[in-house]
Amino acid sequence: MRKAFPVEDLARDGRFVRVPMSERFEDPRTALVEHGAGKTKRGPGRLTPDRPDAPDAARALMHGIFVGEIQALEGAGRTCWDFEVGAGNGEGIPEVPFELKLDMARQCWDEARHCEISIKLSAHMGTELGEFSENTFLYEAACNPDPVLRLTGVNRALEGLAIDVFNTMREFGDVAGDPVLEFCEDWMLADEVTHVKMGSDWLRKLTVNDKPRQERALEFQRVVDKLFSLGGFRGEEEDSPVRLARRFRELAGFEEEEMDTLAEIAREAREEMELRVEANRAAAVAG
Amino acid sequence: MVFFDAAEVRGIVEELVAEVGLPADLPVTIDIDETTPMGRARVASFDPVVITAESGALEDVKAPRRLSVDGTVDVIGKLLLSVRDRTDPAFGEPPAEEDLTLQESVAWEVYCVGRLGRLGHPVQRQRRLYQFRNRHGFTDAADAAFDKLWSADQLTWAAITTISQTALAALPA
Repeated sequence: MRKAFPVEDLARDGRFVRVPMSERFEDPRTALVEHGAGKTKRGPGRLTPDRPDAPDAARALMHGIFVGEIQALEGAGRTCWDFEVGAGNGEGIPEVPFELKLDMARQCWDEARHCEISIKLSAHMGTELGEFSENTFLYEAACNPDPVLRLTGVNRALEGLAIDVFNTMREFGDVAGDPVLEFCEDWMLADEVTHVKMGSDWLRKLTVNDKPRQERALEFQRVVDKLFSLGGFRGEEEDSPVRLARRFRELAGFEEEEMDTLAEIAREAREEMELRVEANRAAAVAG
Repeated sequence: MVFFDAAEVRGIVEELVAEVGLPADLPVTIDIDETTPMGRARVASFDPVVITAESGALEDVKAPRRLSVDGTVDVIGKLLLSVRDRTDPAFGEPPAEEDLTLQESVAWEVYCVGRLGRLGHPVQRQRRLYQFRNRHGFTDAADAAFDKLWSADQLTWAAITTISQTALAALPA
């Protein structure tokens, strides 16, 4: 069986349509809304039940979680298979300790269960599989040839985002009075804390004597974090659709300084998105 | 900023006007805000009929900035049925759009979309049930209220609000 499985070869049936992130970034429309002379409010804002579109926003977010779970299963499976068993110290061919493969196998088990839960939640919410587009950024992060960078990109950055998203959805389910959504999100959230902790632990173990490799891994994590802050989608502002879940991240091995850095990255991503949208809009008007 | 074909939208609206029982020559204006990807759509005026929609309301979510025919039928059809209701003296006198509560709004939507489905258009029953439950509770009473609204024809505004309030009354204190 081959190693290094490219994203183009992922198995999907005709229901699933991929939309690249570049297409989203080049959209000249903006979610910014004016509400007073010289004042703008970002839309759509936090996912709260009093939003008129809250149920449909929750459906779309849940579908995003669903396709992310599929890719997380595929990514953990690749990381379990792609590397030989060894010290994992970065010398020679890519190697990982056997225990890391066991952790990835354990994660596959969790992600498969999350796929099943997501499918049942989609049915509960009235969402068809493939109703929304898929973005394959999670799996693409899992294609990094260095296993340490895979774990920081996927387990710490992306599963960390999953902690933020699941916590938001869990709170939404609680306030909306949806016991099914609340319970399912809480259940999956517990697993995500474990997955992020695996990433934190293996990062430290495999780079304890290799600070340059550790720094490369953390830099990759920052790049992924910034990309997946999605223009202010995740942040600590009151109107951020997804809030940074500091307490759960702390349980997963994030230091306070790391979370402060992540909040700053989110603010930068939001500002850059606003500038990009303005530039795209100006180009559309001119052209 | 979007790639919607005005003629295509016009054709969809003209067919829907006839299907929902409005006068075939009724002038209907669809005002699409292309500057935002958000998805709100509403009847801004009943005489003349003006529907305003943010571009996201009619967009194909799997083909950004392109029109979704099914989505457009769903959004515009639902709104045209509400126009028909408001212009029917037998329906009663609902509050102005901006004065509707979320519960009243979604109950009326269910009544409209149920009829749209019986006209032969694809509608997502479970999606509408989920929306209704979010406003009326995840209870057997809410599901029973939904079934009544979904399968009904010729309801009055008073009947819609009664069904909605029956579901709300079953919410835990």
